[in-house]
Amino acid sequence: MTSNRSGSLFGGVDRGTVLLYALIVIAGWISIAAATYDETVSHIFSFAHFYMKQMVWISVAVVVAITVLLIDDRYYHMWAYPAYILGLLLLLSTLVIGKEINGAKAWISFGSFNVQPVEFAKIATALATARLMSEYTFSIARIGDLVKVGMLLAVPLLIIILQNDTGSGLVLGSFLFVLYREGLNKWLCIPILLMASLFIASFLLSPMALLLLLIGLCTFSEVMVSGQVRTRIIFVALMLLLAMVLMILTSLLFETGLSFYVSLLIVSLISAVGLAIYSLRFNLAHMFMTLIFFCGSVVFLLSVDQAFNALEPHQQKRILSFMGIVNDPAGADYNVNQAKIAIGSGGLFGKGFLQGTQIKYGFVPERHTDFIFCTVGEEWGFLGTLTILSLFAALILRLMRMGERQEEPFGRIYCYCVASILLFHVLVNVGMTVGLMPVMGIPLPFMSYGGSSLIAFTILLFIAIRLDASTRHFALNKI
Amino acid sequence: MIDRTEGFFRMRTLQLIVLIIFAVIIGRVAFIQFFNADYKRGAARNVMRVDVQYPPRGEIFDRRGAYLAQSRECYDLMVVYRDMDKAGFDTMRLCQILNMQPRRLKQRLDDARAYPRAPQRVANYVSKEEKLRLDAEGLRGFYTVSRTVRHYPLHVGGNLLGHLSEVSAGYLERHPEYSKGDYAGIGGLESAYEEDLRGKKGVKIMERDPRGAIKGSYMDGMFDSLPEPGRYLTSTIDARLQRLGEELMEGKVGAAVAIEPSTGEILMMVSSPTFDPEELVGRERGNNYIRHMNNKRNPMFNRAVKGKYPPGSTFKLVQGLIGLQEGVLKPSDLHPCHGGYKIGRGVACHAHASPADLRFAIATSCNAYFCYVFRDIIDNPKYGSVKKGYEVWYDYVKSFGFGRQLGSDFLDENRGYVPTREYYDRVYRNSWNSLTVLSLSIGQGELGCSALQMANLGAIIVNRGYYYIPHIVKAVEGRDSLDRRFYEKQYTKVDPKYFEPVVEGMWQGVNVAGTSTQARLEGYDVCGKTGTAQNPRGKDHSTFLSFAPKDNPKIAISVYVENGGFGASVALPIASLLEELYLTDTIRRPELLKRIKEMKIYYPAYDK
Repeated sequence: MTSNRSGSLFGGVDRGTVLLYALIVIAGWISIAAATYDETVSHIFSFAHFYMKQMVWISVAVVVAITVLLIDDRYYHMWAYPAYILGLLLLLSTLVIGKEINGAKAWISFGSFNVQPVEFAKIATALATARLMSEYTFSIARIGDLVKVGMLLAVPLLIIILQNDTGSGLVLGSFLFVLYREGLNKWLCIPILLMASLFIASFLLSPMALLLLLIGLCTFSEVMVSGQVRTRIIFVALMLLLAMVLMILTSLLFETGLSFYVSLLIVSLISAVGLAIYSLRFNLAHMFMTLIFFCGSVVFLLSVDQAFNALEPHQQKRILSFMGIVNDPAGADYNVNQAKIAIGSGGLFGKGFLQGTQIKYGFVPERHTDFIFCTVGEEWGFLGTLTILSLFAALILRLMRMGERQEEPFGRIYCYCVASILLFHVLVNVGMTVGLMPVMGIPLPFMSYGGSSLIAFTILLFIAIRLDASTRHFALNKI
Repeated sequence: MIDRTEGFFRMRTLQLIVLIIFAVIIGRVAFIQFFNADYKRGAARNVMRVDVQYPPRGEIFDRRGAYLAQSRECYDLMVVYRDMDKAGFDTMRLCQILNMQPRRLKQRLDDARAYPRAPQRVANYVSKEEKLRLDAEGLRGFYTVSRTVRHYPLHVGGNLLGHLSEVSAGYLERHPEYSKGDYAGIGGLESAYEEDLRGKKGVKIMERDPRGAIKGSYMDGMFDSLPEPGRYLTSTIDARLQRLGEELMEGKVGAAVAIEPSTGEILMMVSSPTFDPEELVGRERGNNYIRHMNNKRNPMFNRAVKGKYPPGSTFKLVQGLIGLQEGVLKPSDLHPCHGGYKIGRGVACHAHASPADLRFAIATSCNAYFCYVFRDIIDNPKYGSVKKGYEVWYDYVKSFGFGRQLGSDFLDENRGYVPTREYYDRVYRNSWNSLTVLSLSIGQGELGCSALQMANLGAIIVNRGYYYIPHIVKAVEGRDSLDRRFYEKQYTKVDPKYFEPVVEGMWQGVNVAGTSTQARLEGYDVCGKTGTAQNPRGKDHSTFLSFAPKDNPKIAISVYVENGGFGASVALPIASLLEELYLTDTIRRPELLKRIKEMKIYYPAYDK
């Protein structure tokens, strides 16, 4: 452990990260003001406005941030496990005394304001993960240690699932990012990532589009290695042609012929077998790997599809809602469409502050919380969205760099945890407003309206800054 | 633990993943924000409510400046189904205010459900008072749109003016500039001058929230436009004459048209039975329309321009003129008549002095005289054959405006009918002669013409050989003149010098002795010709063609009364009374007026 700072109070604090944080919070505050400005409330400083309430939360967050910076960094290491236990207890308590909002029993109510313990559990889990993985005896290559990490993540995840708030729980899945950095076998990472992305894609794309995408992807990667463009293109074209012939033949022979999708599936699987034999014969390892990837993906997709379709509609619904995907497809479509309309109508320069119509009049649901990004899109246009996304990207990359310069694994792992949590939130939240991700009710960090989310993310980030500050201070002192 | 190089490699990989993820998101945002315009259109659709601003339709005046058709304020009640408060709104209350059947309201609302975001009309012809009561009610999702509706203070000229009707699907297809719910003129003046009368719609774009509440003007009214009112028309109609004409024709079926010969302006156009145009306005419109359509006498049919009647004896005037021009007849030529023309199947005639010259033959309406004239024309040896002769005769008749459209501003003018040579060749298998078609000589047989064509014949004769194309509009607001065809003299193929004896014959018939003496008006030199047209269905049609004064004419008039009997018995007194009113501004024959007004004719063909 490094010593506490001896110099100035905030010596070694990474000013760039704090600046990025401040910019994002201010942008969030402006967006909330634009989204919820109510002309009928005469006094612009009235606390009936959401932006005035958020102003209070921001002040609280600043106090909390300073407090976090003042605490000696050793305590974070020391309190990691107690905080984790406390976090679990808080999560469990919501199951008993929790308040249900939007179908998730994930809130604890203190009078008029609600706290979502899962936000704080994330911090505790990040600390605990960092502590566990930074133990001297820990080795990621050992199955036993890996199981320990798995357990550490699985317990809070289980409780969050019981709260019916799976969307928030899936954040913990993003710790794979951290595990990879810490040396997790890549052959374990790649299939998990692939399965996750295929699973999400299966909800967003049609089976036909997925199959074509897979064929295209495999051909592309194979071409990248072998460098034989022409033969591969001819091969794919032949496959498409054969599939078409098969479709026509079957429709001539039988009353209900095969659809193009089924024909293509059959043709591609049969040709995969042929290719596998060919690649084994001539010892083409990359082609064989690609084939395994292709067949594995197809089998995975088919089984997901099959399993899902075998279920009763109400069970399907339950699974979708378990996944955190809003369970009313018509309604969700409407909301996402409205969100896309709001963002799309902004164009390049946007409509200007308070000039947006889609947000102001309330066409977009949850406009100041989960869909706050729409306000940016409509009023500030592509320049605004580009700025916000760049700020987030810079913050995440900076956190990773902060992690890399840590002396101790604890600091590095924690920084990576924060980076992965932020990345997951931005990807899912912005992704759902632009139709890249299914709708899951998770906030945009630092921007969405709400005290508990803002304060929790502030603590999360400033612990990382605090840990980094000690390292830098130490390093500076050494010279 | 992993070594430093491996750690460095993995850090780079993760950085790459982060960058790829952000690149994908930014790419997607860029696509939505400026490569796909659907979302911008979607935003406009969400937030805009386009309110059409209807212009007041142009008003129609008579030649003296009295209103024939006015535009009066009224409203349409619209609903946006999605915004309606389905549970909390009181159907009965709305029905009460609008005086509407609940069943009908329910049906309209069900229709509106099919397009929940689009404004749909619930009721039209909502009066100002009803509108104020609706506004006070403040029903969510309902609003009123200002329109204008026709009002006819004089209640005359149903067929003449035409009426307004909501555009049909077929009409919309042919006229894409209209949209659903617009009105367009049907028949008469309203359809002939639709483009001038309708004006230009304006538009007002409003912003609304998802619940449909109006938030203000879209883009500060940048795309709004004001409606342009339709142009007003001054008609050539004399409303007093029109009203008297409709009163006199009541109880009879037929048509009457009066023209100012010096201009071709139509002073009056009556088709009887007629209807009060006011009946085709307002919520009772549908019922009245069906009632009129079911009336066997067909009041919505404009007989004055669409009817096809045998011209009868009035056609003898044309016959005489052609004879004079062809040189086969001189005004002093005498032809004998002892009860008719005796050659071939023959034509009967009433008893009168014999032989007759042209003037007397016209005055007394001798049938036989014009049989001689007709045969002389088409059997003229200089043409070599009857058929050639007939073609010559046919061209003359056409030049008088028969068997073709005159080109008036009525869109649905009937051509009438004059048989062609080919027609007879077909019917008689090429073997026919002047005797076969002899009934043409006295305006019977296949001949058909409208009252407008007959009145135009009157104008031709009194003008001594030319006419102006009859028209019904004197001036259109903002236009210096009408179509130039209305200012050009149209000459017939008969030289003006031959007209004088025919005019004199008609003058004698009224003022000396003959069939038309009842039509005399002291000091006005009225000329006239009766007609009694046989028809296969019941009593003869009564017709009268007249103009006055003989020189410097003011009015030419044609009256046609179906199954009225002799020309002198019904058509003549009607024409005479109309002339009296127009020329002297008063009527000094109240008994005659009363008798004619009360006269009802029995129509077995219509009233079965």
